[in-house]
Amino acid sequence: MKAAKRILGVAVGALMLGASSVAADTIKVGIIGPFSGPFALQGKNFQAGVEAYMALNGKSVKGHDIEVIYRDLPAANPAQSRALAQELVVKEKVQYLGGVYFTPDAMAITPLLTQANTPLVIFNAATSAIMTQSPLVVRTSFTTAQTTTPLGKIAAERGVKKVISAVSDYGPGVDAEVAFKKAFEAAGGKVVEAIRMPLNTNDFSPIMQRVRDSGADAVFAFLPSGPTTLGFVKAYNETGLKQAGIKFFAPGDLTQESDLPALGDAAVGLLTTFHYAVSHDSPENKRFVEAATKAIGSADQLSFPAVGAYDGMHVIYKMIEATEGKQDAQKAVDAVKGLSWTSPRGPVSIDSETRHITENIYLREVVKGPDGKTYNKEIQTFPNQKDPGLATQ
Amino acid sequence: MPDLAGIVIIAAVGMAGYWLFPDNLALLTRIVAVALLVLSIDLVTGYCGVATLGQAALFGAGAYAAGIACVNGMTEPLTLVLIGAVAGAVAGLLMGSVMLRAHGLAQLVLSIAIVQLFHEAANKASAYTGGSDGLSGLMVSPLFGVFAFDLWGKTAYLFGLSLLVFVFIALKFVVSSPFGILCRGIKEDPIRVRAMGAFVFPVLLKMFAISGAVAGIGGALAAISTQVVGLDSVSFELSANALVMLVLGGLGTLYGALAGTVIFMGFEHMVSAINPFHWMTMVGALLIGVVLAAPSGLSGLLGTISRATTRGKGGRG
Repeated sequence: MKAAKRILGVAVGALMLGASSVAADTIKVGIIGPFSGPFALQGKNFQAGVEAYMALNGKSVKGHDIEVIYRDLPAANPAQSRALAQELVVKEKVQYLGGVYFTPDAMAITPLLTQANTPLVIFNAATSAIMTQSPLVVRTSFTTAQTTTPLGKIAAERGVKKVISAVSDYGPGVDAEVAFKKAFEAAGGKVVEAIRMPLNTNDFSPIMQRVRDSGADAVFAFLPSGPTTLGFVKAYNETGLKQAGIKFFAPGDLTQESDLPALGDAAVGLLTTFHYAVSHDSPENKRFVEAATKAIGSADQLSFPAVGAYDGMHVIYKMIEATEGKQDAQKAVDAVKGLSWTSPRGPVSIDSETRHITENIYLREVVKGPDGKTYNKEIQTFPNQKDPGLATQ
Repeated sequence: MPDLAGIVIIAAVGMAGYWLFPDNLALLTRIVAVALLVLSIDLVTGYCGVATLGQAALFGAGAYAAGIACVNGMTEPLTLVLIGAVAGAVAGLLMGSVMLRAHGLAQLVLSIAIVQLFHEAANKASAYTGGSDGLSGLMVSPLFGVFAFDLWGKTAYLFGLSLLVFVFIALKFVVSSPFGILCRGIKEDPIRVRAMGAFVFPVLLKMFAISGAVAGIGGALAAISTQVVGLDSVSFELSANALVMLVLGGLGTLYGALAGTVIFMGFEHMVSAINPFHWMTMVGALLIGVVLAAPSGLSGLLGTISRATTRGKGGRG
């Protein structure tokens, strides 16, 4: 009996030795995102981006296996965010943290990073200030100021003199209002009135009346994606503002691809600026869309968080490569400073000072494709845009 | 001395959590903070019969007060808890003086209106509260100058647990005092209490202030341990969730409030880790199950079982 046990032990040991020479170890990556609740689609896009990257680039780096652990954070909740991050680091022993959809959730994780010796790669949360909270944060998404600023120039170039802005009264809305005003007035235009609408406004006809009364040539809008945006765009059409020739400008959050089917024909002609359109014409994007569609199940659900996650995984892979699988957060972050590559959204790089992504911003128009479906068509490119919010600090 | 035994059990369960789940202390601290909120609802709903879906207004008042004080240089944790308690009590007085003007359904609607107003105020005053980006940059100094609030969260948890036990002991005195018994009387029959010559409004208002202080301590603890205060801490969702936990545990017993919180949040954490995509169905199933099997909450179920067993033995009950 004893001998048998010994033989078994030797055999198991040999097996494990053999296995370890093939794959030295497993490196865990913790992804926090909204995988259930009202924002579940954004979380699904995170997952699709991660899975697409791993399907195209393999599940190991230099012999280190990569294991992804997902944790659900349905709505902005910093206390829960911190608890999840702490558990991922302390219990699951992840070497990298990624994801994060909402700004306060990211703010709650940043104080932990130095002690945890863990970099955080943000796939979405889009407020400039996050980057200044910890030297171990890298971001592969965008900021509202970054995507909005080119709009000011575009509006002025198209002969618009007076704009009225209408934004939802919360952080990103105010960011958008400020960024647009700054860029538009720098280009010689004037914002005649700035309306801040309560977040849960459903009836937009009074707003449309104010837009008409203001005598502006165009309206600049920012609302959270979903039913409110739908209501706003519908009101813009139905109250005759569109027919009256009042132009409509907005950041691309409003016409993200997953919302377009619901907006239908009402969206046709809307001008938005953003860092990524699913329709972007490049071989990299074709490969990405194909793999991500397979992961998410339906092409209609794919939108911008997926590309943030895809590029986030690219950054994490590069970090693992640079640290040879050893846990060294500072070395990992240093290794990706200045890193540049061709993303599905176009050429991008990580700014070595701010650790935020530098990327092209595109002007897009919603048009009807040959199959009758609407999509964002890129019509103008603003190359290598940095985050103006961070540049001024 | 069943109360003494109960307090020892709470401390023992808390310490068991510390030894058994050393890697989940941030979660356990969050549970303690929410338990304080649930206790505060129990005071007004369970003991006074005033249903509220806006208690997070008081929790948030404590959290933001502590957070703003901390950002402005008052970083001593015990001072911050005190600030949270005072802010919560003041908010409680305010909320009580509005809510107690109405009765029944109108009262419940008022509580929702108040929490929404607090939420909007916190969103609007973004220069102080950070708005929807959250109030960040809280650098809390070490407790007693020695124990830092760090990644592993040992200090935060033990600090929170001590606060919970302390508050629990204080509340045991409150609810068994003549004042507490008067509150129960008001819950049973306010007209009769009034006919006896007692003033109903000031008694209930006093309970609102105490309840506010407890919720405020919870908020301050959340702010200290998370280092960020978000708009979720003054949300209707948090109020409603906390009420669900209270109903799960059982109204009108302080133990029920604690048990409900631990079971609800523990279960939620467990199923959401197992399946981060479809866990909400499991929580829904648990709630439906509890409501069907034990309409008066888990503590009510325990009471029924213990009565049934003693009757079975023919004991004195």
